[in-house]
Amino acid sequence: MDRTERLLDLVALFLDAREPISWAELREHFPADYMGISDDAAERKFERDKAELLELGFPLSYIQGDDERKDGYIVDRDAYYLPEVDLTKEELAVLYAAGSAALTSGAFPGRDDLSHALRKIGFFAGNALPTPRVRMELGSEQDGPQLAAHLEALWDACASHKWVQMSYASPKRPDLTERKVDPYGLVLRRGIWTLVGYCHLRQGVRTFLVHRIRSLKANTARPRTPDFEVPEGFSFDNHVASSPWQHRFHESVNARLRLTGELLTRGPSLFPGATVAPAEDGEGVLVELPVTFLDGLLRFCLQLGPECRVEAPEDARQRVKDMASSILEKHTPREEVAA
Amino acid sequence: MSVHERLRRLLFLVPFVSSRPGISVEELARALNVSREHLLEDLDLLTCVGRPPFNPDDYIDIYVENDRVYVDLDQRLSAPPRLTVGEASALAASAELLRPAAGDALRSAVEKLEGVLPPGAGERFREMYRKIDAAVEAPEALGPLTRAIHERREVSFDYATPGRGGLESRRVRPHELLSHRGQWYLQAWDLNRQDDRLFRVDRMQNLAVTDATFQPREDARAEVPNPARTNAAVRVRFTRLVAPYVRERFGEDARLLADGGVEVRVAGDNERWLTQWVLSFGGEAEVLEPASARAAVARAAKAVLGV
Repeated sequence: MDRTERLLDLVALFLDAREPISWAELREHFPADYMGISDDAAERKFERDKAELLELGFPLSYIQGDDERKDGYIVDRDAYYLPEVDLTKEELAVLYAAGSAALTSGAFPGRDDLSHALRKIGFFAGNALPTPRVRMELGSEQDGPQLAAHLEALWDACASHKWVQMSYASPKRPDLTERKVDPYGLVLRRGIWTLVGYCHLRQGVRTFLVHRIRSLKANTARPRTPDFEVPEGFSFDNHVASSPWQHRFHESVNARLRLTGELLTRGPSLFPGATVAPAEDGEGVLVELPVTFLDGLLRFCLQLGPECRVEAPEDARQRVKDMASSILEKHTPREEVAA
Repeated sequence: MSVHERLRRLLFLVPFVSSRPGISVEELARALNVSREHLLEDLDLLTCVGRPPFNPDDYIDIYVENDRVYVDLDQRLSAPPRLTVGEASALAASAELLRPAAGDALRSAVEKLEGVLPPGAGERFREMYRKIDAAVEAPEALGPLTRAIHERREVSFDYATPGRGGLESRRVRPHELLSHRGQWYLQAWDLNRQDDRLFRVDRMQNLAVTDATFQPREDARAEVPNPARTNAAVRVRFTRLVAPYVRERFGEDARLLADGGVEVRVAGDNERWLTQWVLSFGGEAEVLEPASARAAVARAAKAVLGV
């Protein structure tokens, strides 16, 4: 019998059973599947079926009998059926809008899980499902089916705590590097997916942009035994940059910027988490923030134009000048050069 | 298609049709995100499913009549299985995309999801749900905007149009929120300009949801302009230092140069965007042509230098 068919037959059998079903009875019910092979082989086959059913959320367990009941397998029907989730219109709208946006982006970890979840929460909503009005588009780096497949594999590896082996293309190196990583989780920032995990090569927590992974394989040995535990107190925020100046390239320094003109009111949205206060001399507002990648901040400030001035640290002011001078030099009109 | 995926679908399919008798094949295929062909194969398989002793009444009785699907005997597949830990955590993690917009609704929805997990799965759910962090930098305005879209109400706000100086007052019919490379946009019908417009949510101030309602149009959809077009007029050269990052974004459209740098072509219709973009490379990018774009970048660099 086809395995899918057998598993569904098992579901139908257990959902209808009033008494526990013994292994001997199961073998009789499915002679073509669990008989005609050795006892060991038959048991292993049923164990695999049972594992698959458990993974589908089918709460199958074995009970030791007593005076009233015999030994055997039984399913807790109440624990199987999805009860009405009883979401308010607003809650359903939030979950539906966000879930659909994640799916349409083409790359979200656990895509299959997410599609099933959306169907299930919509099951009791009848035709009252909200129309999603939120879309998400990732950067062009993230196009292509490979990213979606890698996110899916990483999601599974995160869930089962299995290490992954991958070849990684860093723009800093000409060749691919082979990495073995314990995946702790996945982070989305500015349209880019980042894997955070323990890198066995570097012996520390490292971040990897998922679109730079060229090939990926999870450890398949002992699939139900975790390879690692995520350390207590682990937090993504200590490892992943949300803004260009937060890459952990050097020791943290405090920077001070002055915003004027059109940028006067935009401090909090441009520099999330920074301290923004009116300047004592009355000229604009001052923004203070910790920086671990100064050039990242300076380039960001450059594109904001003269209404964003870097005031501290001192060497940063000079660095901005150097950058602007270099840009000016490159773009100063040249004499026509004959071809 | 793995056995696992197919089983998940089939265990949902039977109760779904049971609760929507006479659903069309097309609608069912859409709801399950499978082709018509795959769906018909699924239905064929289901007619073979039953329980011992496999008498005629022991089989699932599911059939198609006039292109509509019915279930007469569901063999106790009367509701879908509960959410698995993986399903609930993927959903809860995706809801983080709208964190500020969702407010209390997100927290209460996640609590309710936990409530319908299989018994004892709560802890695993909380652990898994933390493994995806998709809380993008979403501005507070997403909250009222989401509400306005759902309630079909016009909104007003002051909008900072770069380069025009000061704020302009706008009144719009909001249609859709779009997150593009982590930046949030509102696509809306601008009542002042009588045209579809895309607004950056972080540039809105004094946002107010009005009492005026409207009937949304079905066809409205806006795209964030893609500056990387191969037929575009502006040639930009990048040094070897930043070339790998530019190649990542532009792929084959970035032409490799002999010195290890790259050259790309981008659209020049938005001078402000182009100038800012070139400046953001801090001296590692140079506009080659046209001369007008080179001059614009030079002016911007002079402004920064105060000369």
